[in-house]
Amino acid sequence: MARTLAFIEAITEALHQEMERDDRVFVLGEDIGLSGGVFKATSGLLEKFGEDRVLDTPLAEGIIIAASIGSSLVGLRPVPEIQFTDFITVGMDQLVQQAAKIRYRSAGGFSCPITVRICCGGGVGGGLYHSQENAAWFVHEPGLKVVMPSTAYDAKGLLLAAIRDPDPVLFFEHKKLYRTIKSEVPEGDYTVPIGPAAIRREGTDLTVLTYGSMTHVTLEAAEVMSKRGVEAEVVEVRTLAPLDKATILASVKKTSKCMIIHEDKRTMGIGAELAAIVSEEAFDHLDGPVVRVTGPDIPAIPFSPPLEKFFMVNPEKVVAAMEHLAAY
Amino acid sequence: MATKGSPRALAEPEVEKSAYSRELLLGLYRMLVKCRLCDEKARILFRQSKFAGNFYSGVGHEATEVGAAYSLREDDWIAPSHRDWTSNIIKGVPLKFCFAQLFAKATSPDRGRSSPAHMGYPPLNIITPASSIAGQLNVGTGVALGLKKLGRDSVVVSFFGDGATSIGGFHEALNFAGVHRLPILYVCKNNLWAESVPLRLQTALKDLSDRAKAYGFPGLTVDGNDVLAVYEAASKAIVRARSGEGPTLIECKTYRWYGHSEIDPAKYRSKEEVEAWKKKDPIPRFEKYLIDRKVLGEEVKAEIAAQITAEINEAVEFADQSPYPEPAEATDFVWS
Repeated sequence: MARTLAFIEAITEALHQEMERDDRVFVLGEDIGLSGGVFKATSGLLEKFGEDRVLDTPLAEGIIIAASIGSSLVGLRPVPEIQFTDFITVGMDQLVQQAAKIRYRSAGGFSCPITVRICCGGGVGGGLYHSQENAAWFVHEPGLKVVMPSTAYDAKGLLLAAIRDPDPVLFFEHKKLYRTIKSEVPEGDYTVPIGPAAIRREGTDLTVLTYGSMTHVTLEAAEVMSKRGVEAEVVEVRTLAPLDKATILASVKKTSKCMIIHEDKRTMGIGAELAAIVSEEAFDHLDGPVVRVTGPDIPAIPFSPPLEKFFMVNPEKVVAAMEHLAAY
Repeated sequence: MATKGSPRALAEPEVEKSAYSRELLLGLYRMLVKCRLCDEKARILFRQSKFAGNFYSGVGHEATEVGAAYSLREDDWIAPSHRDWTSNIIKGVPLKFCFAQLFAKATSPDRGRSSPAHMGYPPLNIITPASSIAGQLNVGTGVALGLKKLGRDSVVVSFFGDGATSIGGFHEALNFAGVHRLPILYVCKNNLWAESVPLRLQTALKDLSDRAKAYGFPGLTVDGNDVLAVYEAASKAIVRARSGEGPTLIECKTYRWYGHSEIDPAKYRSKEEVEAWKKKDPIPRFEKYLIDRKVLGEEVKAEIAAQITAEINEAVEFADQSPYPEPAEATDFVWS
């Protein structure tokens, strides 16, 4: 039976169900137990599973990640929470030098099945240090898998797939989606496989590659353009590493035009890699430049409302870029 | 609980120093000699260009390494650092794999991926180390959390140098281990130099074991060149950890005889300092102890050295004859 759940409710449900199903799974992080998480994603877990499986940790991202890596080496399935991606830098050494490389440097002798839930994203008045995304840092690290859902259905299914995956998975949750996005979610067990992208809207005139909360912004813009006679195909790259190149390239070859939308900063961002793949592997099919609509190259999202608005990609900016590309 | 198939099939560590068995004493001696001879052989092989890269010699540290790891069971864990290649030997990894690791051959446990001396061995729970200082100390703490959650009585020995105690991750790990009373030994080999930086520029403390006070568990300083002192401290800490009483920080004051690596002439240290420490060589010191007690004689001593030398030669031959990995193997083991 499916019912409508908010994005965050789907995450909470996935955690409850997986901890019931598999006693190797435990959660840890700052404020996740007694408080149920600053956004309440882990609410009810402490009451149901107790302190042994729901661990309020010291304020120390390095050991949150390291404790997860180490306990995964002995066969557990830890699901650490990073309260805001802005603070993940404290755990960077552990993620990049340990989690991403331990399988490789032990030639498969050790594996590291951790799922790091990371709250990210702007447009909610979070200011410089509660709005960042930073997914691109990790996509640059082979050995890590990176996913970012945009629907409640995918949030539950991808989270279950991530926890069951034998590799370290970074599970990015855009905080703006937590309570604004609702969708039908089956009550029972299901997974959304890590890897495949999703075609959210079919179209013939141009391909848009996007992910996370920008999926919704892009779909809104696509409807505007539809009324103007341009049909955009929206490909949600919900797994950022490893990339689903086949789906991306098939869509670009079909429409002959490609644009990329992401919220995060521009230079060397995920859009840069997607553009490179498209120009290397679909060059002969392109009728126009690969266009990016992204956040600007400033250090982070500023707090004051007009400044934040300047940073954020919105449907108007996407529509303008679609008009530009459609004219080729 | 002695684990079946354990390399030495040891039972619980012997904790009463006055009653140490002849078998234990000779076992410790043999292991000290084995570590020394392997390490010196590795240095020679590096100079002969038998392997490339670098080597991080632990000569001078043997009493610390052997004393802390000797009584571990097969199901126990070691979280080594870059200077703990010999911890693999102590835990029972066949020597041929240790030398194949230096030679970066396909027969090495990591199939030629890590730099020489950065060695782990998954079948015996030795964590393949990253070069990040204090990195394994953190992962080892996580292993200890996992062992506790699983209700096992295995323990973790984490090796690191004085340099590692300055890094933020050291604080995060020890603080966390204190909170959860994790089954782990933090064994600090304080050799007075973090590469070229002297201890006086690393810390205002005299004894690094004082740091344990901040984490709510015992810290002790021992003579790291006295194998029995280290063994005694480690054995008690292992018993403590197994019984759920939590971590121990053991600072072993010792000295590395050579440079940070084989390409470091270590001119930042005075000749007098190096010579003074060489006079405190842990091996002749323990030999004298054993000879005085008639546990060891010249004949047995020679026999041990000959056996180990033969074993090393065989291992080097194996490494030398082993093939390199195929180039395309570089892309293996990125993801599952």
